[in-house]
Amino acid sequence: MWKQFLSKLPRKSSKLDSVSDSTHNHPGSNASSSGNSIQRANSGNAGPGRSTTVKRMSSAVFPSSVVAGIEPLLSFKDISNTEKQNLFISKLNLCSVVFDFSDPNKNSAEKDMKRQALLDLIDFVNSGTSRFTEPMISASCKMVAINLFRGFPPNYRSNSSGGGETEEEEPMFDPAWSHLQLVYELLLKFISSSSLDAKMGKKFIDHSFILRLLELFDSEDPRERDCLKTILHRIYGKFMVHRPFIRKAVSNIFYRFVFETDRHNGIAELLEVFGSVISGFALPLKEEHKLFLWRALIPLHKPKSVGVYLQQLTYCVTQFLEKEPKLASSVIRGLLKYWPVTNSQKEVMFLSELEEVLEATNVVEFQKCMVPLFRRIGYCVNSSHFQVAERALFLWNNDHVISLVAQNRQDIMPLIVPALEKNSQNHWNQAVLNLTMNVRKMLSEMDEELFLACQRKFEEEEEKRVAVEEKRKMTWERLETAASFQPVTGNTAVLVRSVMAPAIAASLA
Amino acid sequence: MAMIDEPLYPIAILIDELKNEDIQLRLNSIRRLSTIARALGEERTRKELIPFLSENNDDDDEVLLAMAEELGVFIPYVGGVEYAHVLLPPLETLCTVEETCVRDKAVESLCRIGVQMKENYLVDWFVPLVKRLAAGEWFTARVSSCGLFHIAYPSAPDQLKAELRSIYSQLCQDDMPMVRRAAASNLGKFAATVEQSYLKAEIMSIFDDLTQDDQDSVRLLAVESCAALGKLLEPLDCVAHILPVIVNFSQDKSWRVRYMVANQLYELCEAVGPEPTRVDLVPAYVRLLRDNEAEVRIAAAGKVTKFCRILGPQLPIQHILPCVKELSSDSSQHVRSALASVIMGMAPVLGKDATIDQLLPIFLSLLKDEFPDVRLNIISKLDQVNQVIGIDLLSQSLLPAIVELAEDRHWRVRLAIIEYIPLLASQLGVGFFDDKLGTLCMQWLEDKVFSIRDAAANNLKRLAEEFGPEWAMQHIIPQVLDKISNPHYLYRMTILQAISLLAPVLGVDITCQKLLPVVIASSKDRVPNIKFNVAKVLQSLVPILDQSVVENTIRPCLIELSEDPDVDVRYFANQALQASDQVMMSS
Repeated sequence: MWKQFLSKLPRKSSKLDSVSDSTHNHPGSNASSSGNSIQRANSGNAGPGRSTTVKRMSSAVFPSSVVAGIEPLLSFKDISNTEKQNLFISKLNLCSVVFDFSDPNKNSAEKDMKRQALLDLIDFVNSGTSRFTEPMISASCKMVAINLFRGFPPNYRSNSSGGGETEEEEPMFDPAWSHLQLVYELLLKFISSSSLDAKMGKKFIDHSFILRLLELFDSEDPRERDCLKTILHRIYGKFMVHRPFIRKAVSNIFYRFVFETDRHNGIAELLEVFGSVISGFALPLKEEHKLFLWRALIPLHKPKSVGVYLQQLTYCVTQFLEKEPKLASSVIRGLLKYWPVTNSQKEVMFLSELEEVLEATNVVEFQKCMVPLFRRIGYCVNSSHFQVAERALFLWNNDHVISLVAQNRQDIMPLIVPALEKNSQNHWNQAVLNLTMNVRKMLSEMDEELFLACQRKFEEEEEKRVAVEEKRKMTWERLETAASFQPVTGNTAVLVRSVMAPAIAASLA
Repeated sequence: MAMIDEPLYPIAILIDELKNEDIQLRLNSIRRLSTIARALGEERTRKELIPFLSENNDDDDEVLLAMAEELGVFIPYVGGVEYAHVLLPPLETLCTVEETCVRDKAVESLCRIGVQMKENYLVDWFVPLVKRLAAGEWFTARVSSCGLFHIAYPSAPDQLKAELRSIYSQLCQDDMPMVRRAAASNLGKFAATVEQSYLKAEIMSIFDDLTQDDQDSVRLLAVESCAALGKLLEPLDCVAHILPVIVNFSQDKSWRVRYMVANQLYELCEAVGPEPTRVDLVPAYVRLLRDNEAEVRIAAAGKVTKFCRILGPQLPIQHILPCVKELSSDSSQHVRSALASVIMGMAPVLGKDATIDQLLPIFLSLLKDEFPDVRLNIISKLDQVNQVIGIDLLSQSLLPAIVELAEDRHWRVRLAIIEYIPLLASQLGVGFFDDKLGTLCMQWLEDKVFSIRDAAANNLKRLAEEFGPEWAMQHIIPQVLDKISNPHYLYRMTILQAISLLAPVLGVDITCQKLLPVVIASSKDRVPNIKFNVAKVLQSLVPILDQSVVENTIRPCLIELSEDPDVDVRYFANQALQASDQVMMSS
């Protein structure tokens, strides 16, 4: 029954579901996506309870003069083909007036008129009669810019609710959506239309247009981001000349998010577009694309909100690995670099991604990174957070991982056996204990002699540990004493070693 | 032990420690770099340790961060300022890593070293470093370079200065917004080192470009340098170059930009002088106070006092006060709260008459605000108004509100009031206090919230200090001691707490006659928590009472408690007994 219901929802809802899979939160997410559909039904006035209102354009009235020399309220079917272009532009001009939706009762007649005009425009673009002329394209882009390119209001929730990371945040819905939606639909149809010549279009759908379109991905309204996703995809597909620019501009958004702000609403959507962009990369991969992996995708593992877009991110990363398996070890090293220190939830996610990456890793690549990797997995196995320990131990349920381990057991067992021994001695969680015993059994069946050797070594080292600690302390104490005998600063010290002075000067030159 | 005789290789120890898989050990050894350096001596530090560190930068960011910080204070260990430049290479590498914290710390350390370096060394070592970073292949290096120009520039010869200026201008036009943002946010610092003539010609054109950047985020940072640049320019130039820009920004379509302007505007007033302030800045500020976006109004409201202080009394009364009045009933609680936190400061600016006529009604309405933060912000600054309107007026008009707030349902508000009571009491005097506030102080002892009860007990102590033991005997003690029979043990505990605080203030006689019997009686309480608190209070009384009282009254009671069935009571009774033994021994 749910399936039937969900099939009617926009594509976004399926994404919501898949994201919340990991948190076992099905009923909740369905509720929120059904809320989404209700919201859609009565969009217009279903604004969020924001106290401040956008007062601009309160006195908006339509331009009284008929701009393109034709009454905009006419219907396309009532006029001759030659007049259609003018009517198109005239209707676009009409739609270039933006209304205040914070008050649903204001200008409601005009709002309806604009809505009808937008619907007419969409129909016209859909019918795909003749090529769009330059004035038509120019007017379309202008109308879209006026309607869509706006500054978003501040995000109050983050201010008032403090660090509300854990609570499921309600998506924010734009009160003006009933118009915005149609403008987006028109833009999408327009760009996809075979009547739009890419060469002519690129003059108006230019770098600045794309840049401002990309800025909209930060919208809090999931419906808007969903529209943008499709549109960006089409633009990328249609305007080949803009591809490098789009890749660069999106990278910049990622950099800003990762290294500066830590806040952006549309990372998941942007990554979704890039998932298909990456799968379209030609082989062999260009250096530029590999840099994108290392400099944008891998650092995207750093922000604390990684859970929101991890699914899309993992997809992008695995797309790269499918194209070029030789990237695997550098990806794994990247994951290790950004491995979470205190955030256990994130650690569980990293372990899941790691497993997916390992699936696509061959022995040669594996050998390049297995030592630091299994040192890290050892720490995870010992985690006092039982979900982390469990997830790490689950890696041994994967046949590919087992075979990689088996082939390299001489290196891996010495790293993992101590972790297993520590767990079996004092992990608090029964499930983790059981899993530990299973993995221990598996490893000892894999190579009993080696396993026992590792076990003995661990026991010896445990015994020596206190002595090693003591020795370290002694060494530092001796160092401290030695240091205290040396003169602290002094240009006087140079005099004593005057013989050395030329050598220093030489080395500095 | 044998290893004492082993020779010591400081570098080897460091290398060994940095190889350890435990990050904590690696961090510890980096934190002790100075020890290793001292053990090595200056020359070997320069020749061995620093080169080793330059190469060993493939560690966790946390370790690198520690290294960047340590190197900033390393000059003494390499042989003083003469050799400071040897520290630059490892820091240069750290300026290029991905993690922002590490880069920032490396830049900070480089600046710290740079300001100590001699001029010719700066030219030989520091300037080339800045140039290399500015030409870096990845944005991290270029971003870092932006924060170093203000150190490198002053000592450079003219030709090099010209080069540095042109490099900076290139950074402001960098392909990556990250770099442009860094350049924009450091522009003020750099401009402060540039000569006046170039300031007008070159820096201002850089600034103009930044203010027209197609990225909001860059323009935003350009606004930030407005005030800094404005202060550097002659007033006339400031009016010509900065004023139009800021007025323009104050009407920017992005609220974030307007928000920045609202935060900065007051700083420009002095730079442009009184007339342009009146003609241009005041209207711009008034617009921001009435902005559509609450965030902008919050920022503007928060600066209202600073702005008025610059303007003097006349302009604010005409232009600003009407807005302030509007803001005091703003639809956003955050706006009202921001206003409430600064509005008290306006009183000294406006003078007594305007304060009474115009500000006082606003204070009063904010004091009755439905949002606790607003009320709290007003209360915490009450003493400022006191200075202007005097205690009489304050008590007439504000006290009813204060009494109301003393029973506020938000405990933080009640807490703020309690903390204000001793000050109020000292200014109002005994008579007034007894009439109005005495009962409140007792009421708080039975508050539902622990922090309030705790503060109430402490308040009594401060009042006793203020008005003296005799007054306390009359007005506090009887009521307090009555409450020991409260059926709820938590309230009885508050009374014990109050007694232990009051005893040292009231002196031996009152304590022995009035307080001690109550404490002793409580040792028979049916709740163990009360009993072990009795033990604690008795312990605190031992040092201030006569030995005979301790011997005859306190110790027998404690000995009885030390045989209590409850383990905690026994524990604290024994503690108290031990303490009293020590006091007796020492006396």
